[in-house]
Parts: sequence; structure tokens; C-alpha cells
Amino acid sequence: MIARSHVAGAVCLGLLGLAITAKSQSPLADTLSRSILHGAAVEYLFPEQVTVPAGKPTPVALHFRIAPGFHINSHKPKEDYLIPTSFSIPETSGVALKDATYPEGTDFALPLDPGTKLSVYTGEFVIQARIVAPRGNHLVEASLHYQACDKNACMPPKAITVPINVIGN
Amino acid sequence: MKRNSIILSIVLLLLAAFAWAGWANWEYRKQAAEKRLASAAKAELVADGSGSGDLPHFVSPLMSHPAPDFTLEDLSGKKVSLASYRGKAVLINFWATWCGPCKIETPWLVELRNQYASKGFEILGVSLDDLDPDDKREFAQEKRDIAKFAAQEHMQYPVLIDGASIDKPYGGLDALPTSYFVDRSGKVVATQLGLTSKDDIEGNIHKALGE
Repeated sequence: MIARSHVAGAVCLGLLGLAITAKSQSPLADTLSRSILHGAAVEYLFPEQVTVPAGKPTPVALHFRIAPGFHINSHKPKEDYLIPTSFSIPETSGVALKDATYPEGTDFALPLDPGTKLSVYTGEFVIQARIVAPRGNHLVEASLHYQACDKNACMPPKAITVPINVIGN
Repeated sequence: MKRNSIILSIVLLLLAAFAWAGWANWEYRKQAAEKRLASAAKAELVADGSGSGDLPHFVSPLMSHPAPDFTLEDLSGKKVSLASYRGKAVLINFWATWCGPCKIETPWLVELRNQYASKGFEILGVSLDDLDPDDKREFAQEKRDIAKFAAQEHMQYPVLIDGASIDKPYGGLDALPTSYFVDRSGKVVATQLGLTSKDDIEGNIHKALGE
């Protein structure tokens, strides 16, 4: 009888130990993440270097990619309160931005508000920038300002650097 | 009989050691994880890795901790502090005029606030719209834009501006809408990042009310 109760006690204790060990596998399993989204939702792809005739306005196609699942407002959002995507070159860079042509946005609606159409970019998009560079080599740090969202949340407006080596000859 | 007792005692001893080792391991891992979260010192936007843009998880080190106190101005210029709401259940809702999902969520908040106000529930809508204090004209325009949005959405609860000044204690606010549900003692009892559902928000209001 005593032996049986010892065995039962041992089994209970063993199960307790197993339970605690199993729990130790993942103490924060419900809060820890699978992968972390940090940094920019938009990435500048190319060109890294362009050669243009010195002093002459020249179109340059700038390629960007938006992270999967995200969208950014087009250059002409449908609502005033939305932040447009815009490209700029600092005046101090030596290279001037005459103008920029942006792609048309595509219509997009959030699943919980299908009636409100937004004008957005997704995937890859191209901005045609017309630049004027004096003779010489110019390391330009241009900028793309945008505001990205996915279907449930929006990230604050952000500007990424668009580094281009502009050679005027 | 005596031999059996000795064997069983040894087995019990081994199992006790096994249980202790398991418990110690769990404690160690828990403490390590807590340290990691504390050192992160900010909330994180966490995508699901599938690239589908599904709702990220929200890891907030503030959970079960006192909500950091703050004092911000409302749209009329009156200073409003979180501490003055002690004794009430409070939903601190970070939003911005440029945030589409916030625009969807706001009518739910308005309805829920009206429904639970009599039980001691309040919402503080904290705008993260950029304000430029150095440019008075621009500042006034931005404030007008926030006020226009608040009026359009019938936000009858306090709308506070310059939320960016408190983003660090609230985990960096990487995405909007972000909500912290604070109970009557001032402790964070639930958090939400992104658009969820009215039911989810209501469930968290119940937690904040202690129901």
C-alpha cells in the first residue's frame, strides 16, 4: 500500500516536472514576434550613377520598391489630409531638380472601408526626374518623402535618402 | 519492503531534482526574456513575416506597468494630464489626421465612449500630427486641421496635440492607431496596435473598467 502511494507520488511529481519543463520552452511565446519590421517601407533601387550633358535638363528614371503588404500615397492623394509622395534634391547638392513626373496612383480601399478609394503606389514604381547638373562629379543625396500604411495601420511620414552619383560632361 | 522504500525514495529524489531543474530553467528564461524586453525600451511593430501586410503583433513593455504620466494641451490650449484621470478607466488613443485606419476606428471610439462614460470611462485622443512650434502660421494651420478632423469625426472626448513629445515613454509609436487601456489605478491592462475591431476595443474597455 505504502509502495503504491510512493509510486503515485513519484508519478505526480514527475508530471509536475514535465509540465514545468514544457512551460520553460516558451515563457513569452504569446508576446514574442516572428519577424520585426524596422526601417523604411520604401527602398531606392537604381540608378546609382547617371551621366548627363552638363547644363542641359535631362530626364532620369528613378526606381523604387515598396515592401510587400504596404502602400504609400501617390503624388496626388484623393484627400487633402493624406500626405503625398514627393521627391526632392537639396539646393546645396549642385544638381538642380527642374521637375518630376510621378506615376498615376492606383485605386485602393481598406477592407473595413471599401467605399473610400485611396490613390496609392504599391510594389515598384518609377519617378521621372528632370535634372540639371554642371560639369563634374556630384554625389547627390536626394530625398523621397512618403507615408506608408498597410491595411490596418499607418507608419509616420518618413524621408529616405536617394543617393545618386551624377556626372555632368 | 525496506529495499523498495529505498528505491522509491531515490526515484522521488531524482524526480524532485528534475522538477527543480525545470522550474529553475523556466525562471532563468523568463528573467532573460524580461530583461530583453526591458532593454528594448520600446514597443515594436512586428510583421508576420509572410509579407501579406497582416496586422502586426504589438509587444509593449508597458503592459501591467503604470502608464507614463503626461501633460499635453488640448485644442483649446488647456493643459490636460493623465494623472487627473486617476480613478477612471482611460483609453489613450494615439492617432493622426493622415492615418486612414484611425479614421475608420474613430466612430467606434465615439460610440464606446458614449456607452461607457457613465461607468467612469474616458478617452484621451492624442494626435501625432507634426506641429512646428517655430512657424506660428504653420502651427495654427496644423492645429486647425486637427480640429477640423475632430469635428468631422464628432470626437467629443479630449483631443490632445503634440503627441510626438511623449512617444518615447509610450514605446516609440511606430504605427497608428495605437491604444493603451489604463485601469482605475493607472496601470496598463491592454494595448492595441492597428485597426482591430469594435468588439476587441470594447473587450479591452471592460478590462480597464475591471469588469
